[in-house]
Amino acid sequence: MADTGMLNAAAAVTQPLRGTLAAGPRGPKPKNKFSRSNIIIYGTLFVVALYYALPLYVMIVTSLKGLPEIRMGNIFAPPLEVTFQPWVKAWQEACTGINCDGLSRGFWNSVRILIPSVILSVAIASVNGYALSMWKFKGSEVFFTILMIGAFIPYQVMLYPIVILLREAGLYGSLTGLVLVHVAFGMPINTLLFRNYFASIPEELFKAARVDGAGFWAIFFKIILPMSLPICVVALIIQVTGIWNDFLFGVTYISSPDRYPMTVQLNNIVNSVQGVKEYNVNMAATLLTGLVPLVIYFASGKLFVRGIAAGAVKG
Amino acid sequence: MNPVFQGLLTILIGVGGIFAYFVLSNMLLDKVLFPAKGPNASRNINRANLIRPWLFLAPTIIALSLYLVYPVIGSFIRSLYNRSGDQFIGFGNYSSLIASPDFRTAFMNNVLWALFVPAVSTFLGLVIAQLTDKLSWGNIAKSIIFMPMAISFVGASLIWKFVYAIDPNLGIINAIRASMGLNPLDVLQLAFWNNFFLMAILIWVQTGFAMVILSAALRGIPEETIEAAVIDGANPFQIFMKIQVPQVTGTIVVVWTTTTILVLKVFDIVYAMTGGNFNTQILPSYMMQFMFRDDGRATAVAIVIMLIVTPVMIQNIIQARKEMR
Repeated sequence: MADTGMLNAAAAVTQPLRGTLAAGPRGPKPKNKFSRSNIIIYGTLFVVALYYALPLYVMIVTSLKGLPEIRMGNIFAPPLEVTFQPWVKAWQEACTGINCDGLSRGFWNSVRILIPSVILSVAIASVNGYALSMWKFKGSEVFFTILMIGAFIPYQVMLYPIVILLREAGLYGSLTGLVLVHVAFGMPINTLLFRNYFASIPEELFKAARVDGAGFWAIFFKIILPMSLPICVVALIIQVTGIWNDFLFGVTYISSPDRYPMTVQLNNIVNSVQGVKEYNVNMAATLLTGLVPLVIYFASGKLFVRGIAAGAVKG
Repeated sequence: MNPVFQGLLTILIGVGGIFAYFVLSNMLLDKVLFPAKGPNASRNINRANLIRPWLFLAPTIIALSLYLVYPVIGSFIRSLYNRSGDQFIGFGNYSSLIASPDFRTAFMNNVLWALFVPAVSTFLGLVIAQLTDKLSWGNIAKSIIFMPMAISFVGASLIWKFVYAIDPNLGIINAIRASMGLNPLDVLQLAFWNNFFLMAILIWVQTGFAMVILSAALRGIPEETIEAAVIDGANPFQIFMKIQVPQVTGTIVVVWTTTTILVLKVFDIVYAMTGGNFNTQILPSYMMQFMFRDDGRATAVAIVIMLIVTPVMIQNIIQARKEMR
């Protein structure tokens, strides 16, 4: 295999015309038999599957049990009596410190952060990617390198100065400030993603469009965008899951508990030391927070895998 | 004001503003500065095209320099000042870091993390990718293994907090121990080994990534090479080790370095699980301990993290540029 590069990880998954995951196994179907190697394979996979699936399974099962049933033991057993009460409680009245209005507040904060930052960053990044792939201009190499650094640099270096920036702009602690931070941090990886995708579109298409008299915007809206649905979805997925799952920025740039995003609020609920520990409620709260990305995962399938694989280079 | 309305307004102003900027600045360029008519039409068109890319990139350049370039310099400068930020102390924060036993613990733990997590998750990812490839239900196994990638690090940590819970009615580990008649054990307080119990969480999350990338790479291997090995009488293990793995070495390196970079900056797990107690501190969580309390020291830790990440990052960028030219 040819020497592979780092964003190759990203490049490989964002190739529009090559559905690597979609390609099924080739060649004749292997015969099924209980050989020693098969037993080893199944055994290994079984143990591995336990490691990955068991924690989630126990979480789901426990979150559907009442507290008395939890105390009876048998954590692996499915609930004798299914109750959705812990879920309702986690949503409506779980406590962080003295506030007891549940995760719903964090959920709506996260939504308020998510929607503007996703739309803005994808819109800007797509135009940027288009500009970068259209023209090989002087300085594009430098710009490219800066983008890469932006995609990889540890966020820790920027935490403090951004606090100062936001404070000076009067946005520190506000949702708007956090939205701006997410937009800026989503820019490098998404611009790279769009640029790579656009660069793989055959140049003849651009030329033909130009001959037909299409201008910059006409090409973008009538030719590029309709062809770019998959990459737009991938970028959306990266941004939605990345921003929804963010904890570091939420905990640093939001100062008041009323405005904490869901992840931060979840951590405060579960690690809260006050009152009786209601484990089923805590587990339900954890699952509720993961629900948004998990729903997207199961709904979008392969595109999600592509997106996460490309997005994992960020952060 | 209604929050929904407010949100819509923000989006409208943001997107509208950006697009208005794009359209207006282009119009200015084409119609006013360098009109494509008159005696210098062709020269004007060329000039306009020279400037145009920068018009489109300007918002990004401004955002990046505000959010990327300035902060790195700002962090470094801040790390040269004392706690309250009013006195220049040179490298005082760094020397007190080196003298601090907590910092050394965090540093050594981080080294352990950086060696162990990428190695294990890449290895597991490779093995799983290879094994599931042959199975009819391989895709189901894959989607389960990939699932933790969708959850936040905090969510994953809290899930494992329950796995490690001391109460045998809650924690899987202690439930198993109880069924074997052993006393409950708080694995997060086991000296030294607790680090590995924390690493298991990140491995749990990251294997899916390694698996997906490596499985794509394994499928890209030319069939002929494997067929030739089969004809030569190689057994499946030999084929895997001597034919397949060498052909995906490049991808393995990519997965490995990408995971290494990630490991060096994940703070959520330690923060949510132990808060750095019981000698489990790592650099990113150590930094958060000082954030807003002693910013001089926090930024010094940040610079140390960046120095450690930089060589891996440079290697990655060189590879990527080679790839994308």
